Amino acid sequence: MLSAYFTLITILSCLALIAHRKHQVSHKEVVSKGVADTLPLLFRIPAAILAGSFLAELIPKAYVVALLGDSSGLQGILLASILGGFLPGGPMIAFPLLLALFKAGMGIPQMIALLTAWLLLAFHRIIAFELPMLGSRFVRRRLLACLPLPLLAGIAALAADNLF
Amino acid sequence: MNLMSLFAYVKRELFDPSTLFFIALALASGAALWWMKGEEVFELAAISGVTLVVMIAPIMLIAMVISGYVRQLLPTAVVERWLGSESGLRGLAVAILGGIVTPGGPFAAFPLVVGFYRTGASFEICVAYLTAWSVLGLNRVLIWELPFLGVDFVLTRLLVSLPLPVIAWMLARLLVRRRNRNA
Repeated sequence: MLSAYFTLITILSCLALIAHRKHQVSHKEVVSKGVADTLPLLFRIPAAILAGSFLAELIPKAYVVALLGDSSGLQGILLASILGGFLPGGPMIAFPLLLALFKAGMGIPQMIALLTAWLLLAFHRIIAFELPMLGSRFVRRRLLACLPLPLLAGIAALAADNLF
Repeated sequence: MNLMSLFAYVKRELFDPSTLFFIALALASGAALWWMKGEEVFELAAISGVTLVVMIAPIMLIAMVISGYVRQLLPTAVVERWLGSESGLRGLAVAILGGIVTPGGPFAAFPLVVGFYRTGASFEICVAYLTAWSVLGLNRVLIWELPFLGVDFVLTRLLVSLPLPVIAWMLARLLVRRRNRNA
């Protein structure tokens, strides 16, 4: 968690320095917009995180470890890729759920496959944005091109895990 | 912020449907945990949840400010101009880079794709952009993934995801070519 702070503060300082040299960027405006963007999350995120940590205790750990743990290997990656496509909702719902699964013993390659599948193939974003804006022909062909990617990411993570 | 607008803010956010959903979910899962596993397990889970909230809240605020700076320094119009002007391998590199840095959520990215798809960008470039935006987009990584899943996980995932936009681009090209041959 400390390294997350360190990373973000480094990025923030660099950006603020760059912005400082440009006169059209107002620091005050950016910060108050940032605060305004965070405020709507102030009630939702704590409730979502609490729900996530309660659910993590309720999920039968033995099942998660057996089906999606580090030792589940390729089968776990395949299952995770399928689950990811059906994971509902935006990041507010998905990430606390992912955290619950992570805490319950899900393996890193399997988690990468799940997250990648959710990012690329999750149906809510397709129905809400992609289909109405780009049409079914585009969506069909894009899905076909992206279908193997979650598996590939999971397998690459598995290979990297074995290598190091 | 005066007291009235604070009150209005709390009322608006607290009675938002998704806030109510999460509060209900937290109450239900908390009650179920207490009932099934006892007070001690419930307390431990509650403490770890609250700790996480306290740690994550500042991270999200910092990430939102970063996102704000990116939006100011790199308006969507600039990304659109880049993407429209390049083709071939350079176009691919620009599409991937554009996907990584595009600020904002799906509200920002999809209209952008619509824009440059209509103005003549190829299908495979659009796929490369959307894939890069999905799996490498910094906005989501900083605001959501980093606080919830940690730096080690994020770095591993980004590393294995680096080739994905290129692979998607190649597969999309194959699809388009086969279609053209069959036609």
